Amino acid sequence: MLKKILSVSVILTVLFLAACGGNGEETSSGSNDGALELTFWNSWSEDSPENDVMLERVEVFQKENPDIKLKMESIPPDQYKTKLKTQAAGKQLPDLIQTWPGAELRPLAEGGVLMPIDDIIGGWKDTLIPAETLEDYAIDGKQYAIPGNQVFTSIIYYDKDMVAKAGFEEFPTTYEDFKTLVENLNKEGINPIALGNKAKWPLQSVYISTIADRLTGSDFLEKVFAGEAKFTDSEFVQALGVIAELGEQEAFNSDANSIDDNQAADYFLQGKSAMFLNGTWALSGLISNSPEDKNLGVAKFPAIDGGKGEATKVSGTTGWGIALNSDLSDEKREAAVKFFEFLYSEETYQALMKVGTLVPATIEVPEETSELFEEVVELTSGGIAPVYDAVLPADITDIINNGLQAISIGQSTPEQVAQDMQNAVK
Amino acid sequence: MHILQRNKLAILIGLIPALLIYLVFSIIPIVISLYYSFMEWNGFGAMKFVGFQNFIEIARDPIFWKAVKNNIYVVVASVFGQIPIALALALLLNRKIKGGKLFRTIGFMPVVISTVVISLTWNMLYNSEIGFINRFLESIGLGSLTQNWLGDPKWAMISVCITIIWQFVGLYFIIFLAALQNVPSEVLEAAEIDGASGWKRTLFITLPMIWDSILIAVILCISGSLRTFDLIYVMTNGGPAHSTEVMAIYMYEKTFSSMRYGYGSAVSLYIFVFSLLLIWVSRLLLQRKSR
Repeated sequence: MLKKILSVSVILTVLFLAACGGNGEETSSGSNDGALELTFWNSWSEDSPENDVMLERVEVFQKENPDIKLKMESIPPDQYKTKLKTQAAGKQLPDLIQTWPGAELRPLAEGGVLMPIDDIIGGWKDTLIPAETLEDYAIDGKQYAIPGNQVFTSIIYYDKDMVAKAGFEEFPTTYEDFKTLVENLNKEGINPIALGNKAKWPLQSVYISTIADRLTGSDFLEKVFAGEAKFTDSEFVQALGVIAELGEQEAFNSDANSIDDNQAADYFLQGKSAMFLNGTWALSGLISNSPEDKNLGVAKFPAIDGGKGEATKVSGTTGWGIALNSDLSDEKREAAVKFFEFLYSEETYQALMKVGTLVPATIEVPEETSELFEEVVELTSGGIAPVYDAVLPADITDIINNGLQAISIGQSTPEQVAQDMQNAVK
Repeated sequence: MHILQRNKLAILIGLIPALLIYLVFSIIPIVISLYYSFMEWNGFGAMKFVGFQNFIEIARDPIFWKAVKNNIYVVVASVFGQIPIALALALLLNRKIKGGKLFRTIGFMPVVISTVVISLTWNMLYNSEIGFINRFLESIGLGSLTQNWLGDPKWAMISVCITIIWQFVGLYFIIFLAALQNVPSEVLEAAEIDGASGWKRTLFITLPMIWDSILIAVILCISGSLRTFDLIYVMTNGGPAHSTEVMAIYMYEKTFSSMRYGYGSAVSLYIFVFSLLLIWVSRLLLQRKSR
């Protein structure tokens, strides 16, 4: 009896230990049919025209290169970014990692979990992609990825008919007029702006990035971190105050803080709201989902009196890029480079433009794009302002995200939030 | 049984697998997180020893104390919401009523549904623009009672607590029902003969006999409420303006959004200590009562 118990428990212990030791190995070697396997994480999980293009391109690559097998895992963007940080902390990143410039890339690069790719970017530099665009993916002089798209975070999508009904044939070009528009829309019983701020980044990334730029000028963040300016400076406080004013004016739908930006887009498309502020990433979805008779227009945030910034600018940054795990073997690296050569090509960029995605490449706009896309291209050609969450360190982003939510419902003041942000600057 | 009792070695060996799992997944992480909590660390870069800096910073952060307050709010709502309701339901359904089984199943249903589904469903009910609750109030002419349930800091915590109560009533209901069915019928009959019936019998016979189950339910309830995360995370993400932030969400945000793993570890130690304290106090209170 004792022997039996003993042997059973020994077996159990061994099994348990074996289970512990065994994990993590499954992804490291090639798969059974001899093809080289590359694990690849991305955020292309949602059903959007842009993601469809990317998945299609990956499929074509698979067909052309049967000796390389891409094992993909696609996760929605908000969750993806969290997962990435968690897995990076546990040193369990895949071979290919989709990432974003600035605050997303920096800690990963500085933590040494990514591999520099300076030796391969020669083929892109200044031929397909301008050198200064590539620079967004350089940390301390080393290149870590090549941008796949270009995003502007702050486009005002609006319903031309509703705005006209509120007395504006043309979209307002000054902030004063914009406020009148909001007021008139409210009088008409139309919700002025659809906002989905449950995830807390929209008010910051979409709104403040451009609004603050109007007031502070584009070099403000740089100056703050150099100690030459402060978040408590009146221009920045005034920018936060714009959100407070919009909140007081009841410019947003009442459930703004309990829905996400997709639901807000639905409100706009259903005609409940006259405007919807979001990035260029929303464009393709809005075009394909809007009813036939909807008269869509695009605009940028109007000029604010006394502001130091140029009203032609829109906040933007290069979009996603794919980085390499620093543990990659030479063989895998070679395969990854092959994938990059295929993916970051004129064909891909053309295909992306056709569905309404802006790209960092210097290529002609294909003919069969929608009119709205051309308007957005035109709209965003007036210069680029920095995107706050792409520049700010994660902890300050957190403070401003929560702070803006509080400001929008009158639970905090611009002065208070500005002070909290300044306190976190080291 | 005899062999086992006499042989300490066998007992020890039998315990090893479970003990190992417990050590690896519960005890060791607590120790590691104690170590991290003295560090300034972004998760993968270099660690920097900062002593008690993290603990001091947490204690000075008003948002943390707001989270603590909200957490206590959840605990109170759960203990005084879930348990009395569950007990009342169990007492009601412990007799033969038509459709008793159906009611039991319905009562237990929320426990089986995934929290995310519950959160999304209640989100739709609470929605201030298209939600069922506001629409219903308007349609019966009580439009003045409509609220921005999840968007107004005054109401958000109350709304979330109602959902939490709804979600877990079924669990305690089943625990109490099982306990009630174990009350021997002889005792009840004896009480009946002695003239204790109705309320008297419930108060002086039934409740004392299931007191142990109530105690366990209260402890489960407290520890569950202190851990609460998923439901609030999906429903409001701690917003608006931190008004529904609880300790676990605070810890999660600091660790995984702000990328301050050391700070987050320190927060989790606070949670650990608070939980132990609260459970110890509640045990003390309830056990004295039972004597």
